[in-house]
Amino acid sequence: MPEKTDIYKLANGMTLIGIPVAGVQSAAFEFLIPAGAAMTPNGCCGAPAVIEDWIFRGAGGKTSRQLSDILDGLGLHRGSGVESKHINLSAALQADNLPKAIELYADIILKPALKPEQFEYSKQLALQGLLGLEDDPRHETMLLLREHFYPDPLGRNTAGKKQDLQNLTAEKTDRIIAENFDLSQTMLAVAGKYDFQKLCSLVEKLFADGKTNDKKNITPKQRPLDYYHHPHDGAQVHIGIMTGSVTPQNNDYYNARVAVAVLSGGMSARLFTEVREKRGLCYAVGASYHSLKETAGIGCYAGTIPQKAQETYDVIIAEFKRLADGISESELQRAKTGLQSALVMQSESTMARAGAAATDYYFLGKVRTLEEIKQNIEKTTVKSVTDFLKNNPFETFCSVTTGPVEIKPV
Amino acid sequence: MEFKHKKLENGLNIIGEVNKAAQSAAVGFFVRTGARDETDEISGVSHFLEHMLFKGTDKLAAHEVNSGFDDLGAQYNAHTTEENTVYYSATLPERLCEAVTLWCQLMRPALRNSDFNMEKNVILEEIAMYKDMPEFDAQESCRALHFGNHPCGKSVLGSVESITSLTSKQMREYFESRYAPNNITAAIAGNFDFEKICGQIENLCRSWKPRQAERKTEFFAGTAKREHQKRKNLNCQHIWLASPTVAYQDEMVYAATLLAKIIGDSTGSRFFWELVDSAIAETASMHCEAMDGVGVFYSYIRADRQNGPKAMEVVEKIFRSLQKEKISADELQKAKNKVLSAITIKNEIPMGRLLELGINWVYLGQYRPIEDEIQRIKNVTLADIQNLIERFPPADFTQFAVGPQ
Repeated sequence: MPEKTDIYKLANGMTLIGIPVAGVQSAAFEFLIPAGAAMTPNGCCGAPAVIEDWIFRGAGGKTSRQLSDILDGLGLHRGSGVESKHINLSAALQADNLPKAIELYADIILKPALKPEQFEYSKQLALQGLLGLEDDPRHETMLLLREHFYPDPLGRNTAGKKQDLQNLTAEKTDRIIAENFDLSQTMLAVAGKYDFQKLCSLVEKLFADGKTNDKKNITPKQRPLDYYHHPHDGAQVHIGIMTGSVTPQNNDYYNARVAVAVLSGGMSARLFTEVREKRGLCYAVGASYHSLKETAGIGCYAGTIPQKAQETYDVIIAEFKRLADGISESELQRAKTGLQSALVMQSESTMARAGAAATDYYFLGKVRTLEEIKQNIEKTTVKSVTDFLKNNPFETFCSVTTGPVEIKPV
Repeated sequence: MEFKHKKLENGLNIIGEVNKAAQSAAVGFFVRTGARDETDEISGVSHFLEHMLFKGTDKLAAHEVNSGFDDLGAQYNAHTTEENTVYYSATLPERLCEAVTLWCQLMRPALRNSDFNMEKNVILEEIAMYKDMPEFDAQESCRALHFGNHPCGKSVLGSVESITSLTSKQMREYFESRYAPNNITAAIAGNFDFEKICGQIENLCRSWKPRQAERKTEFFAGTAKREHQKRKNLNCQHIWLASPTVAYQDEMVYAATLLAKIIGDSTGSRFFWELVDSAIAETASMHCEAMDGVGVFYSYIRADRQNGPKAMEVVEKIFRSLQKEKISADELQKAKNKVLSAITIKNEIPMGRLLELGINWVYLGQYRPIEDEIQRIKNVTLADIQNLIERFPPADFTQFAVGPQ
């Protein structure tokens, strides 16, 4: 069956994307609302984490309990998260219940109750979440890494800042919702089993009169890539390393993805082989590509006991730098096979398809077909990847460690 | 979907569920062995051995194993629990044969001393990693406390001491005694030709020699002890509770799964409304772990230091009130809807289906089609739930907490 992407744009600018998946009984959807961590005014860091909880505490005339009961009654698998630019609200469910679920999410997005007494609970949960993060040094390291790597405010900690959260009020947060829940920049992606015509009519009926604002522009401030240490009396030193890469809009995007796969695509990739297999330095080591619309990076994590932290760090940096010396034909083939095969397997999950479609549309203004991605991966050659790496060598790094000892960075 | 089964003369079971519409195919080797089958002296050997399988055979070096899977574009891994060691991969259908060949070879590993000594470092790093994950670390301690001297209380990772003193000879002996074909199930799910794959497995595995690989499976209700550990470097109280429930083989396991959802699902449960909605705890969840001959309800509560004691008061109140404030038809229906939609979503992917298929066979020795699973969930009644609460009151729990206080 040829691949199909359904796209419908409402007059107010909201975009509905549909990805039909054959042979499934489920449907999944994801809303991207432009109210992420970077979109929050200064001094309100953490507001999106509060909002993500607060909007579910009653909506469309239903109490928190009524709303939750109906969502649970539909057997909805809910997810939500705060990203740099967006709050994402996602769910997967039996396809028959999709229209009812979209109706409820329209209430949550357009008519949340936002009761002040409920706000306090949401705020307390966000503060506790921040506290819990300090007991999870690996996760905390990676959040700190993005914060220090990306230009401010793009890398802002999505969990927030304690002081800002403590000072946050219901009124202030209400205003942030009013400003940032802008339908003209909102996307809804659906994947799985659905009737697109019916879905368009439904979304039109529910969202056509929703509010739009002027598009918010933020001016990111570049910062030097440096080393930061966060003292933590734990068993391991958690090392985060990030270096710049190209965004999905760039012509070299697929060369960059292949390069990351050579570095850390599978267990035979360079990092795993050099750090774990040959030297036994770590259990967990890996690098992955991460992108925002404006800028992108390759982030690496490794956790190791203090005595091995420096060697681990040095070996990883050496592997990043060695990429510019070139890659072999077999490494290229392995990277291509891995990327293409992962693409097909991810496409079997309706949740993964909906998420990927929304992100694609945000980055590129279109949804790439699986075939298009496969072909672009196929087009890369040893020369194209090596040229890219020679022209964009990994020379500067942002490094973060959390643990009992510091390391000497490059 | 079509189910197929063949048992080889040496006892190896090969099962498959064919779904021609799938885009991928998943294969797994389910070895019925884990921490509960170890002695204290070799604690952690099952998990260490799982790592060692990837180090190759007499004919394959470790890097050839890794590149072998990567060349296939396979998503592959393995995990070890108290009672199972599972190796699995998913590939595009046209690469399944090669993945199966690799796995069949790896099931007879070389266990070279040089690899053993190097990998020991990785295992010790893994132990250190989990020390920095209090949620996981506290569950391990809770399990050990709950099971006391029962084998299910043994640590999957082992300790720094047991791993350091473990020898490759001990590992080889353990391998010989546990990786017998009659103690292994090979399962395949997704888009594949059963006769072809089955023939291939038969050719590669028929020479494996059967051996008795027994396990004691006596029921144990738990010690109901309560302990607490103070750790200054933590910010939250991490509280684990464990109470007994039915084993995997018990038909009431569906009721137990639903009861755990009703009490401790992440949304709309009794824990959610009493603890999370009011921000007493940041997280409060409950799940049912049905095992071989035993079962446990685990609950996890994470709260800040001030709220820790209050959260536990609320939990005790919720548990005690289960007999008076009976579960309502509405609560049961919501839990059923959640479980049913999870089954649909999980089973749409061959890898999700593989794990269900293999584990069912390991525990029950039988195939359960998805429709059958769905019907069993639908058949659970309020009386079943109430009966379960009376037989296994969740209020009789073991508790292990770790935190700054």
